[in-house]
Amino acid sequence: MIVLALLAIPDGFAFAHGIGGKDASFVAATKGPDILPFMYLGAKHMVTGYDHLLFILGVIFFLYRMRDVVIYVTLFSIGHSITLLSGVLLKLDINAYLIDAVIGLSVAYKAFDNLGGFQSVFGFQPNNRIAVAVFGLIHGFGLATKLQEFRLSPDGLVPNMIGFNIGVELGQMIALTVMLLIMLQWRRSANFERSAVAANALILAAGFVLTEYQLAGYFVGAKA
Amino acid sequence: MTTEGQISQPLSAGRMLAITAGALIAASAIVFGAILPAEFNIDPLRLGQLTGLNRLWAPREVPFDITKSEVPLAREYPSGFRSDTIEIPLNPDGSRQGGDQLEYKVRMRKDATLIYEWSVADIPHSTEFYFDFHGHTLSDGKEMTVATYKKDTGTGANGALTAPFDGVHGWYFQNQSLNNVIVRVKISGFYELIAPGEIGNEAHVIANVPADRAIAKK
Repeated sequence: MIVLALLAIPDGFAFAHGIGGKDASFVAATKGPDILPFMYLGAKHMVTGYDHLLFILGVIFFLYRMRDVVIYVTLFSIGHSITLLSGVLLKLDINAYLIDAVIGLSVAYKAFDNLGGFQSVFGFQPNNRIAVAVFGLIHGFGLATKLQEFRLSPDGLVPNMIGFNIGVELGQMIALTVMLLIMLQWRRSANFERSAVAANALILAAGFVLTEYQLAGYFVGAKA
Repeated sequence: MTTEGQISQPLSAGRMLAITAGALIAASAIVFGAILPAEFNIDPLRLGQLTGLNRLWAPREVPFDITKSEVPLAREYPSGFRSDTIEIPLNPDGSRQGGDQLEYKVRMRKDATLIYEWSVADIPHSTEFYFDFHGHTLSDGKEMTVATYKKDTGTGANGALTAPFDGVHGWYFQNQSLNNVIVRVKISGFYELIAPGEIGNEAHVIANVPADRAIAKK
């Protein structure tokens, strides 16, 4: 289902979704601080960014206590904020395809971990909090490449970038709220654990799709 | 033992490996069967061709500036002068069987010239017929150069074209009226006709025959 939904996503949400047409021309034309529009762009990027959304879904899938949800999402946010801000400021030139491929792997990793795969297959369990923070750093590089895709004016760069970052967090909170509401309902159903296995298997597959797609883009490099 | 944020009963190693392998196979089937043909024009399994998904792919179009040229006004060509008349029948707008629009192009070398005259009768109002006079290079599998000479509505035009690059050059015609119409295109100059079905003549138009025989059976 998730995979089908991914395939059904219309053009404007193309894979490795960048910031498209009119938004890009807005950014290119912006000089000086213009925080609110950048916040909007950050929120939009997050809410329509299924690579980030799938990862967050994986992270909270089996977190039953609100306190844990807050801890993990905060770790993720700190991670991606660090690399988003430093990536843009230091003008780090990272290949968007490769970073998006690793982001796809992070989705697969979390689904695999959710089902207890590391213990049963490899006999050890990586620390989940550290893993989420590290993948947060990687997702942040992805965010940075998207923000760098349009030539940001140095005039007002810092406030605009921070606005974008705040927007990302707001968008994440909106998406997270919706996910938690659905998860709460879902967990009450009698066969939750069985359907949870299937759901994580699908998230795993979706992560592999994202990874392979981005690798194809990297090697062919002819995306429209 | 349950770890924070995981399923309460970890799956067995065997089941885990089966799920991972299944996910990889499903993902690869989607990528190789659908995404690669539709997004990158790569079709190793021929599934894109089978499903028609490869038609979603199109080369990236690079616009060509047609206002600049350094061609001498007087020039010679080794050979190849020809004249052709093409009669193109078009069905009424929105016909169920289609056929209310098509594209007809000829093959030209860079700097070759043709002169043309085309007209269409039985169009009640001149805004009910649309044309796009353009040319493009043959795609290299990634991108193609596109030159737009004129896009407009109208029932005819006369003029000349000097090809800005090697490629196919011609017209897209669209009948927006409710009548059956025939477009008559006369061209002379240095160009080659394109065989029905090849790039530039995908509509299978046959030149120099009356309109009722001008569309080849596909």
